[in-house]
Amino acid sequence: MEEFSISIRQHEDIVLLDLNGFLDAHTSVELEKKFEELIARNCNKIVVNFQKLSYISSAGLGVFMAFIENARNNSGDIKLCNMSDKIYNIFDMLGFPILFEIYKEEKSALEKFA
Amino acid sequence: MTSSTKNLARVRDFVGKRAAESGFDESTINQIILSVDEACTNIIKHAHRYDENETIEIETSFENGQFKIVLNYKGKSFDPNGIENPDMKEYFSSFKVGGLGVPIMKKFMSKIEFDRKNSNTNCLTLIKIIHS
Repeated sequence: MEEFSISIRQHEDIVLLDLNGFLDAHTSVELEKKFEELIARNCNKIVVNFQKLSYISSAGLGVFMAFIENARNNSGDIKLCNMSDKIYNIFDMLGFPILFEIYKEEKSALEKFA
Repeated sequence: MTSSTKNLARVRDFVGKRAAESGFDESTINQIILSVDEACTNIIKHAHRYDENETIEIETSFENGQFKIVLNYKGKSFDPNGIENPDMKEYFSSFKVGGLGVPIMKKFMSKIEFDRKNSNTNCLTLIKIIHS
């Protein structure tokens, strides 16, 4: 059965998180810990790449809601990119594009931090 | 199944296979899977408070164009029909967290029924009507 994992890359002062697998009420705890670590290290410019994420439930959405205010209050942001139509439809159906910047390509998300 | 988020992947797999056998398209199957995940997550979290000694019994059936997923569980009752959808503008402006499982279920399922069988047993039924 598919697992969940997070890979980290760095681009200048921006941290990129590559999500892999499925993000549900069980695996979202891992993502929550990763955000806590980043915020504690004062890494507030974050791009999350969804290319390899195959599933998300509301527990996964909740992690982004929990950290975006903190990131923005510290001159950063959490920008999202490379979502499949299946994943984007969930974000869109609930109105997340009102609050979150969602890009088709990672390059565009990185450029917006410039 | 044991009431644990560890089992959500297995539930999704089970429900997805049953929905596919009933003839739904891929997009609808994904909606059903997500709705059942949200329902089970709510039960695990709110009714069972992550107590892995509790269980959720899951049955599916397909009859007269209706795919039904029945979740039987003990503990605190939870009727999604009694919960109003949040105002999403207010939700985002105040950076709220949680409370989106029920709106997802209501959006994606054709009907949700809740029955408290006796003082401690609940039956939550998610229904999706197939459109030919």
